Amino acid sequence: MSDLVLEALANSAEDLVVQATLVSATGSSSKKIGAKMLVGASGKLLGGVTIGGCIDAQVIEAGDALIAEGGRRLLDISLDDDEAWEIGLTCGGNIEVLMERVSPTDRADPTLTAHAAVRDALEADRAVVVVTSLDGPRRSLAIDENGTRTGTLGDVASDDAVLAVATDVLSSASRSEMVTTPSGERRFFFERYAPPTTVVIVGAGQIAMSLTRFARELDMRTIVIDGRERYATRERFPDADEIRIGMPSEIVASIQTGKRVAVVLVSHDYKYELPVLRALLRSPLGYLGMLGSKKRGVAVRDLLREEGFTDDELSRIRTPIGLDLGGKSSPEVALSILAELVAVRSGKRA
Amino acid sequence: MTAYRRIVIEHFRRPRNRGALPGANRSADGANPLCGDRIRVQLLVSDGVIVDARFTADACALCIASASLLTEHVRGLTSDDITVLDAAWISASLEGEPPPGRQKCALLPLDTLRRALA
Repeated sequence: MSDLVLEALANSAEDLVVQATLVSATGSSSKKIGAKMLVGASGKLLGGVTIGGCIDAQVIEAGDALIAEGGRRLLDISLDDDEAWEIGLTCGGNIEVLMERVSPTDRADPTLTAHAAVRDALEADRAVVVVTSLDGPRRSLAIDENGTRTGTLGDVASDDAVLAVATDVLSSASRSEMVTTPSGERRFFFERYAPPTTVVIVGAGQIAMSLTRFARELDMRTIVIDGRERYATRERFPDADEIRIGMPSEIVASIQTGKRVAVVLVSHDYKYELPVLRALLRSPLGYLGMLGSKKRGVAVRDLLREEGFTDDELSRIRTPIGLDLGGKSSPEVALSILAELVAVRSGKRA
Repeated sequence: MTAYRRIVIEHFRRPRNRGALPGANRSADGANPLCGDRIRVQLLVSDGVIVDARFTADACALCIASASLLTEHVRGLTSDDITVLDAAWISASLEGEPPPGRQKCALLPLDTLRRALA
């Protein structure tokens, strides 16, 4: 959603737009940190920083005011609601929403400059962190994973001071944090943008069908691979980004691997598992999992070990695959696989 | 363990002639559409004689064993020699009959090799 908001802001025909960004949340938040809403001078809205209702209404009101007055605000909103509390319909907590008025036609605007850096990085398949000061003047600094910096937080010393946190956020998730700078303790919002995870699914069975459905909800790309034309069809996989039929080991070898690529073997058939693992075990991947019991995993590893793969290489195969959620049906197994993938991606599981 | 099982497992674990054949001048891909076996047979043919033969496969143990035995056997043979190869030859090479329903797995390499020569 945030990516869509960036595009909308860049292409906005509005003279003035307020960008609202969820920068912190205590208690339970219905949206991910970094969720955005645009409030246009014409009254148009895009996105949301909460699930809706009275909270988004407060953000819209503040946005309308900011359009007229200019500048920026950090809204601190309580999610407590006395009446809702009485009937058990609130979770409580606080959220902070950074409101910034942006002129879409002003290409020197720090928000737009940072957004342009984000778009460039994403197009080149790189992650980037945008650091925005939550106190003091409105400034943003984009730090690309390749080391490129765009914009500034005021001076080089401040830009250097946020580097350690920004580097950590590149491989984790957006967050707000206090940082010691030469001008004292300052609070920044570190917002991570990364190209989507690509899930390569080998085996076009029932679990794969559920995987493609759920992955779409999680903004992940999916590539379904099988040697069987009657299985790997668009009719069975309407949500897949790509469907590829052929020799699975050759197809996976042709895919650009990297830390944002996850490979999930759900064919449950050694005829695909062994060749695909041979093709991938020495490639960089963010995740490599194989459906099957622990015993089966040992047997597959033993066969590959005989062929010269090392224990380190073989330890990359996650099998049994997925978090143990107790489910047995195909959608439940797919859910457990994606749950593990998300846990690995966010650093919650090694 | 029967001789058939021993041969299948031996050729599956240590397949002969697995991998691409550089300089191949004949090639064909084959598939068993329901079970998903996929194979490519590549040949180097000179003056009508198969000088070299290799295969690449994402396939079951029986199919790989059959491809392994076949590619070992065909070096030095001509197209005419290949015409006499059949299911009985494969069973003889495996020292046993593939189980019912698995004939297609065993025959896929031979069918593909024939198409490469056609």
